[in-house]
Amino acid sequence: MNAVAAFAWSVVQDSLHRKVFYAILAFTFILILLVPLLPSADIGVQIDLLREASLGLTSIMAFVLAVILGSTIIPREREKRTLYNTLSKPVSRWQYYLGKFTGIVVVVAGALLMTYVVILLFVLIKFGVFNPGMAKALFTILLEAMVLVSVAMLASVFYSPLVCVMLTALFYVVGHVKGDFLYRAMTDSANDPATRAISGVAYYVLPNLERLNINETIAHSERMFSVGATELLLLIGLAAAFTAILLFVGGYLFSRRDL
Amino acid sequence: MQGMETVLRIEDLRKDYAGGWRKPSRPALSGLHLEVPRGSITGLLGPNGAGKTTTLKCIMGLIRPQAGRIWLFGEEATDARSRRRMGFLPEQPYFDFYLTPRKLLSYYGRLAGMDPSRIRTKTSYVLSLVGMGDEADLAMDKFSKGMLQRIGLAQALLSDPEFLVLDEPSSGLDPLGKIQVRDLLNSLRDGGITILLSSHQLSEIEEVCDGVAIIHKGGNVASGSLDDMLRSREEYEIDLEEPTSAAWDELPGSASWADAAHMRVVVSKKSLNEALKALMGSGASIAEVRQRRMTLEEYFLEKIGREGWEVGE
Repeated sequence: MNAVAAFAWSVVQDSLHRKVFYAILAFTFILILLVPLLPSADIGVQIDLLREASLGLTSIMAFVLAVILGSTIIPREREKRTLYNTLSKPVSRWQYYLGKFTGIVVVVAGALLMTYVVILLFVLIKFGVFNPGMAKALFTILLEAMVLVSVAMLASVFYSPLVCVMLTALFYVVGHVKGDFLYRAMTDSANDPATRAISGVAYYVLPNLERLNINETIAHSERMFSVGATELLLLIGLAAAFTAILLFVGGYLFSRRDL
Repeated sequence: MQGMETVLRIEDLRKDYAGGWRKPSRPALSGLHLEVPRGSITGLLGPNGAGKTTTLKCIMGLIRPQAGRIWLFGEEATDARSRRRMGFLPEQPYFDFYLTPRKLLSYYGRLAGMDPSRIRTKTSYVLSLVGMGDEADLAMDKFSKGMLQRIGLAQALLSDPEFLVLDEPSSGLDPLGKIQVRDLLNSLRDGGITILLSSHQLSEIEEVCDGVAIIHKGGNVASGSLDDMLRSREEYEIDLEEPTSAAWDELPGSASWADAAHMRVVVSKKSLNEALKALMGSGASIAEVRQRRMTLEEYFLEKIGREGWEVGE
């Protein structure tokens, strides 16, 4: 465990020395602060709009961080050959892989925590409402980021950062539209058998990332639906299962890869 | 070297690199054998593309050979545990530049499973050993190639390895740095550490190594003790007390002067007696007769051929 922690800590340190990390955070904070300037921000719905837009921006920030960090860490270390120094120590590649994953998740979690504080304070100052329940939405954003990091890292075992970013973005888009688009493509009898088969495989294999999106519910103070412990546990199970599968495949492939 | 305990044994190692889409694979190692006796410095020599770095990467578990076996300390090297007693310096080591050498070594120490107090003590020690004690707390972004090479050596030495694998340890070092590395390697060997050293620099190998393995196109060309290898030719050297040229006409045809001062004659074993008679007959005073020791470069060219060798010096 010590080696996994050391690898994870190295990711945190590395991220804190990357300007892009601060740029993404600053950009997100500025956009959140600018949300009240939106023309549709009518009196009465301002607070809901602020919460929904802020959570949407936070989701995008988490996506960008997860994809950038997940896609670049292994290829960068391979290209710079710092991998030779680290993996010649008595550590397994599994420890390296899990450590780097853990580090990225910690960085994303840290960024989400800071964003949470910013949104919380902003809502409190502007509307006088203390709304800690938003943490549930940020938690599910973190769960989705974990899945995305594991996808990006799996791709990065073989591909360049640019390809990894594109593959992960594709996964993200398909994961969000599968409940609607893929389901219709799979069940619509007007489609040819090949389209139905491919849609069916994608529908059952890919996770429904839209299930992890509770931003709207939380933004509207759970007036329509409430997100209870059972629902959260279900979402944790969903994200954990896909993350574990993707990490296992990625770790296995990385452990057999020539460096 | 026979009978000595072996720290590393490689048997029939084979490795092909994929050639890409619809291209044939390229063999890097084709049945390599190698033994490194305990307490020795063994040089791994070969021209560019001979398979030296591939061999070292296989030993360190960085690449997977298609066939063959690697034994470390008498046990087959199959997982990370086999690297516990080893240190590795890759060719042209590179590090995260935002770290200081002290923080970097602390990180590597944790990976090596060392406890924090030992990491602190050893970090200061190895950084002083490689001449980087004063730079321990500076960021590495302004370090020269030679300074990074020294940091690379420090990280290889950090966990008190019994076996060091070094890929071009003098690369990028200035002449003084090269001398320091040579002295360091000698003192490590005297301290009982076994070293496998891959280098292009024949002088470095010749100065520090006890044994040499020459590889070419992924296979063995020659291996053994350096003394045995370099004395293996059928030639003798005759040293004279003072310069003479009086006997030149009477010397056998195989004889030649080895120096401009005419103090040393090189002659084939077959003509040794004839040359000695001619020299003594002419009144020359003989200081010493010995089997000729080739330079490593001569030996290397003889084994590999000039076309296969791109001299790195």
